[in-house]
Order: sequence, then C-alpha cells, then structure tokens
Amino acid sequence: MWRIWLLFDPRRTLVAMATFLFVLALIIHFILLSTDRFNWLEGGVKKAASLDVTLSEMIG
Amino acid sequence: MADNKGSGISGLTEAEAKEFHGMFITSFIAFTVVAIVAHFLAWQWRPWIPGPNGYESSDITPVLHQLTSMFT
Repeated sequence: MWRIWLLFDPRRTLVAMATFLFVLALIIHFILLSTDRFNWLEGGVKKAASLDVTLSEMIG
Repeated sequence: MADNKGSGISGLTEAEAKEFHGMFITSFIAFTVVAIVAHFLAWQWRPWIPGPNGYESSDITPVLHQLTSMFT
C-alpha cells in the first residue's frame, strides 16, 4: 500500500485532499443550514411559526 | 521532482514513501475518529434517517437515548 506514494506526489495529494474535504464540508454544512431540522442556529422545527407568518402575511 | 532520486515517478525513495505512509495512516485514523465522534453526537442531537411515518415515529429513539445517556 505504501507504494502508492511512489506513484503520487505526497504534496500534491495532500493539497488536493485538503481542498476537496474542505469544499465538501462547506457544501454539507450549508445544505444542513438550509434545512429546518438540521439548522443549528435557528433552532428546531418551526412549521407552526412559519404557517403563522404565512397566514398573517395573507391576512395583511 | 527536479532530481528524481526515487524509483517511482513521484520522486520519492522507498524509505521516504514508507515514512510518509506511516504519517498518512496515523492522520487518516485521527481524522476518522473525530468524524465518528462528530456523527455520534449529531445523531444524538437529531437522527437523519426518518422512520416509515416520518421523524417523530421512530420507536427505537427512546431506547437509543437511554443507551447513549449511560455514556454521557
């Protein structure tokens, strides 16, 4: 298995892996923030609250 | 890469490749352990696989909470 480093340059591999993992983590975190259930800043599931807002918006 | 002293096309000698491999595996294991702990805590906070009737109906959740509360 260690022979892989005879094939791939370790420096380039590390930079590529770090970049890939960072971008992947960023994407996953933003996807989670965009959901109701897994948004850790806004709190919990707020279906009723959002319904209230929509109703009050509809009423005026 | 300028002086290709190693046997492979990356320019590393076999000794260097073995040394780097040891460091790489250690870092990989550490990274994986941190990721597993993070996933365990996140699952405790909010599981991400809903039951057949949505998130609220999974019967296994109280059992899991009981189980995990022994460790916390």
